[in-house]
Order: sequence, then structure tokens, then C-alpha cells
Amino acid sequence: MSVVDHNAIDVLPRISEAEVGDYIALLKPRVMSLVIFTALVGLVIAPGHIHPVLAFTAILCIAVGAGASGAMNMAYEGDIDALMSRTANRPIPRGRITSGEAMAFGLILAFFSVLTLGILVNLLAGALLAFTIFFYVVVYTMWLKRWTAQNIVIGGAAGALPPVVAWAAATGSLSMEPWLLFLIIFFWTPPHFWALALFRSDDYARAGVPMLPVVAGPDATRLQILLYTIVLVAIAVAPWPLGYFDAVYGVTSLLLGAGMMWLAINVYRHREGKQAVRATRRLFAFSILYLFALFATLLLEVVIRAVMPLIG
Amino acid sequence: MDDKQQPDGIVLTEAQKRSRRHRSVAIALALGVLVVLFFAVTMVKGPGVLVRPL
Repeated sequence: MSVVDHNAIDVLPRISEAEVGDYIALLKPRVMSLVIFTALVGLVIAPGHIHPVLAFTAILCIAVGAGASGAMNMAYEGDIDALMSRTANRPIPRGRITSGEAMAFGLILAFFSVLTLGILVNLLAGALLAFTIFFYVVVYTMWLKRWTAQNIVIGGAAGALPPVVAWAAATGSLSMEPWLLFLIIFFWTPPHFWALALFRSDDYARAGVPMLPVVAGPDATRLQILLYTIVLVAIAVAPWPLGYFDAVYGVTSLLLGAGMMWLAINVYRHREGKQAVRATRRLFAFSILYLFALFATLLLEVVIRAVMPLIG
Repeated sequence: MDDKQQPDGIVLTEAQKRSRRHRSVAIALALGVLVVLFFAVTMVKGPGVLVRPL
């Protein structure tokens, strides 16, 4: 009689051949770069002084927390990702990493990022980071994404929180300014993702994800993009007349907002053929530039204000 | 009787050994960064390292 059951040989432990690069891919580096940038702006425009080592720690923890959220998101969405051309190349659908490994990786990173931020910087920032990760993984990924066409509207709150976390890290408190940054990213998310969903709607339909173009149709989505863009542009300009950010930001916001409006109107007008596809792709690409330029303006203002006295 | 003995347990392929080595180095680096980070912040904050204002 054999000591080893022959059936057991078929279920020997799977030995991973995953490389470090596969684990880095789980962190969604491109999303992480936007999170780092928006968090950096939140940290830099906050009043008072934060030691560079603590500032670095805060940004690192926020980045790792965002990466952890991405890993847990991919762990949960391996089945959907395998069906969509945009995501089929991710480590889980390719069989490089299992869902369980990705979930364990994400949980460990989430635990350490929250703990480190809470201990080394402050508890408010740590708690906000924990809430952000919870919201993205549980509320958005597990609950909303497969259930409602409003998934990215509500779920967008998770992507909008990093500058709030960073502000809390710098000041130990919260005020109006970080919530203005939150609102800008929150209202930026729907036009950005619905533009993507318009030219990837076949992908989403095949995977059974109830994105707005799949559920309500492309025309209703175009109207929603236009309406959200109007609100976004108004909210992005508002901090200037309200006196929170100065004129350089205000004028930049107006110019960039005009660009967003023009492209959103084009998406609404062109509904058929290549022109329609081109219009949605342009809006998608410009929306990234819009958010980046808006936050970069805030960052530059702070840098210039810091450098001017040195120059004299 | 066969002189060649089957090795005990699971034998890793070269690819598996290489990827495991790379992952081990990455884990070591990450833990090293964590140690340096805690050390640096302890130096920066001094005795106030355990003071964590809300």
C-alpha cells in the first residue's frame, strides 16, 4: 500500500512562479501615481510645517494603502478581469498569482500602511486611510460594482480621499480646503470613467458589469457626462471666488474647465461612427490632463511662494 | 533494487527557485525600509514618538 494517496498527487501545493513585477502590477501603479500626486498636493497646501521624514512617511503609507486596495480589488475581480480586454493581462487572469495570494498580499499591505501611518504620523490620518481602503474594497468592489450603474459615482469617494488623508497627516485635523479637493476628484470621476465605459461598453457588457452605458445606453450616458462635467467645472472654479485658492488657480481652472466643457459637449453631440469614438477618447484623455493640471497649479503656487523670498 | 533514490518532498524547478529568490529579496527590502522608517521617525520625533495627536 502506498503511503501517498495517488489522488493527493494531483492536488499537490501549487508552487508560485510569480515575479516581483507581478506583485507590483497588483498595486495598480498608474492609479497609485495619481493617488501619490493628489495626496502630495493635499500635504503641501496644508498650513503649518511637517518634517520631511514624516511627509515622506505619510505619502508612502497612502501609496501603499492605495496599492493594497488595488490588490484586493484584483483578488475579488479575477473573474471579471479575465473577460475584459483591458484587464485580461493582469496577474490573476494570466494565472501568475492566485486570488488568495493577492488578497493576502493586499490585506498585509493594508494592515501595515494603516498601522504605520497611525503610529508614526497621527491617528486621524491612519483612521482615514483605513476608511478609504474599506470603502474601496468593501463598498465599491464587493458591493456596488456588480450591483448598480451608480457604482463609480459612489465608489469615486475612495479615489477622492487621498488628499484629505494627506491634509490630516500634515495638520492632525480637517478643514474646508481638503474637502474642496475631495469634491473636485469626486465629481471628476463619473465623466472620466463613463467616457472610458462608452468606448469599452462591449467589454463591460461581456463581463456583466452594470456600467451606465450598458444599463442605460450610450445616449443617457452622454447626457450624464455633460451634467457631471458642468457640476465639476463649477466646483473646481468655486474655491477661487470663495477665497480658498487664489487667482492663478481660478484662471487656470476656468481655462481647463472650458476645455472639459467643450469636449463633453462634443461627446453629447457626436453619437455615431468614428467621430463619436474620437470624442469620447479625447474627453477620457483630457480628463486626466485636467485633474493633473488643476492640482499641479496648486502645487506650483506653493512652490513659487516658498522660493520667491529666497530669490528676493 | 533501484540505487537511485527519489528525492523527498517537492523539488522546485529552476524558474520556481529563481522567482522565490526574487520575492525573498523584495520582502527583505520592504522589511528593511520599514525598520529604517521607524528608526528615522524615532530620531525625528525624539521622546515624543508616542505622542499621537488626534
